[in-house]
Amino acid sequence: MIDWGPIILTAKLALLTTSILFVISIPLAYWLATTRSKIKPIIETLVSMPLVLPPTVLGFYLLMAFSPGNAFGAWLQEYFGIQLIFSFSGLVIGSIIYSLPFMVNPIQSGLSSLPTSFSEASYVLGKSKMNTLLNVLLPNIKPSLLTGIVLAFAHTVGEFGVVLMIGGNIPDKTKVVSIAIYDEVEALNYSNAHLYSLLLFGITFVVLLSVYMINGGYLKRFWK
Amino acid sequence: MITIDIHKTLQNSNGTMSLAIQLTIEKGQLITLYGPSGSGKTSTLRILAGLMSPDTGHILVNDKKWIDTDKNIKLSPQQRKIGYVFQDYALFPNMTVRKNLEFALEKGQDKSIIEELIDIIALKKLQHKKPTTLSGGQQQRVALARALVRTPDILLLDEPLSALDVTMRSKLQDYITKVHKRYNLTTILVSHDIGEIIKMSDKIYCLEDGKIVRQGNPIHIFTNNQLSGKFQFTGKIITIKKEGVVYLVTVLIGNNVVKVIAQESEIAALKTGDLVVVASKAFNPVLMPIQT
Amino acid sequence: MNIFSGHIATIQVNESLSLVSIQMNEHITLQTIVVETPATVSYLQKENPIRVLFKETEVIIAKIATPQISILNSIEGTINTIEKGILLSKITIDTSIGVIVSILTTQAMDKLELAAQQKVVALIKSNEIMVAE
Repeated sequence: MIDWGPIILTAKLALLTTSILFVISIPLAYWLATTRSKIKPIIETLVSMPLVLPPTVLGFYLLMAFSPGNAFGAWLQEYFGIQLIFSFSGLVIGSIIYSLPFMVNPIQSGLSSLPTSFSEASYVLGKSKMNTLLNVLLPNIKPSLLTGIVLAFAHTVGEFGVVLMIGGNIPDKTKVVSIAIYDEVEALNYSNAHLYSLLLFGITFVVLLSVYMINGGYLKRFWK
Repeated sequence: MITIDIHKTLQNSNGTMSLAIQLTIEKGQLITLYGPSGSGKTSTLRILAGLMSPDTGHILVNDKKWIDTDKNIKLSPQQRKIGYVFQDYALFPNMTVRKNLEFALEKGQDKSIIEELIDIIALKKLQHKKPTTLSGGQQQRVALARALVRTPDILLLDEPLSALDVTMRSKLQDYITKVHKRYNLTTILVSHDIGEIIKMSDKIYCLEDGKIVRQGNPIHIFTNNQLSGKFQFTGKIITIKKEGVVYLVTVLIGNNVVKVIAQESEIAALKTGDLVVVASKAFNPVLMPIQT
Repeated sequence: MNIFSGHIATIQVNESLSLVSIQMNEHITLQTIVVETPATVSYLQKENPIRVLFKETEVIIAKIATPQISILNSIEGTINTIEKGILLSKITIDTSIGVIVSILTTQAMDKLELAAQQKVVALIKSNEIMVAE
């Protein structure tokens, strides 16, 4: 029988990462969609970097940064007593950075696709930017929000390189399903690797299928 | 009373244009900004609404400064009391007609205004529908009602009727005139339709290249001469046909077709599609009751 | 449209109507009744230059001046050209205020036996004359 630990850990990681990403991506995407600042291209590039960068590169830099031997890592250790390396919190932070574009891009493109007259009409009606965002803009980009949530979730479930670099392979702490599969294959335990893989395959299929069905082809248009 | 004196350099397809508008609008007036596209009409509305900032200038509304670049005063759109009807209506698709109106309520504002507007603008049957299921004319009415919920100081209408057919247009014109009077609004309309302008507005400002080139009573502006004929309409020539020594000219006025006998010298300057004033003395027409 | 220029000689106002007499030249004065008053339009002022406009179809032709008629506006002239149509005909009349064009039924023209160089009187009812600045 397989160990359920990695599955529970993966679910926990993906849920937590997605929730945090959702909260921070909305203001970030809103800023990117509305700003005329000169630094916008730089921020956009940074957000999208994880799309093309090998996960090991990101993992390596995070490992460097979080390592207690480094200034940032030492500072965290000293003032907060947090060690991000080889820990679940470190994994969450790594996943957030790694999955950021998958949440930010759909929301940003959703917000940009709304006519500017929506927010202008709301301002003229005396409503604040916050009120406008919550009651006018976000409710009208529900498909984009759903796309962002699902993509970020699925992407977090499937991550491997970053986790391996900064989390290692500690059962119930950092050993997620993708690592467990690797582990089982290394140990020539093919039947367990099969079960884990099939599980991931099934979950991913069901999640993406439901999005396609709900959004009526929205994902296809987004990834064109 | 509204005093506007604004300057702004704008970028458009023909390069830069300098917008320089000075005008004074009496409270309760309905005025029209008229001119070719790109002449600065919409920019003027946007500056008034606070959606765009002038480079220099001031806007004074009922003795309150909305903008004074010398003193660094600039009210946000939220702080100005404006009703703005956008060209694309900008109704929120996630809300029903009623919710769109309710969204516009200010904190603590009496809700009865919603019922009143639904009643005046005849939205009762539509109130629980989503905007995307409505026709253009219906959406237009909702947008108008929503703009009035805050009982604004100024109502700004950016070519509100351009997408509608003739019958719908004239109905909407009546609604606008009705609420303009009812709420004693000061209304600024952007329009291309001469008939509409003559029918609705007290004063017209003609814009060209960011400047006001002419202003005055719409009839005077569009007819050049102050004809004493009281039976006057503007219309469009549909056909010109020679009939013996005279010509028979068919003119479309609103959605009515009229025929006028004209002389060779009169039609010399006219061709099909031209806008004309059809005038007669008040003594000539006869009135007959319509059996209903 | 027959268009001529003159100056306002007198204005008689009653409620929203005005009876305006317009001096066209030293001999001819035309009268018109309009639904305007000096209070509603700026151009209705004594001595003001003004244009009078009337439709060709409203010009009545008489062969001799007839004082026994309700039409006060009469202008003497000589027929210059005649353009005969089947139902309607057009004649131009040289007068002291300029060329007046009249359109009348061909039947009426035939009945009066109108011909070029004939002396005629053009008559226009007061309520058919429009004025403009």
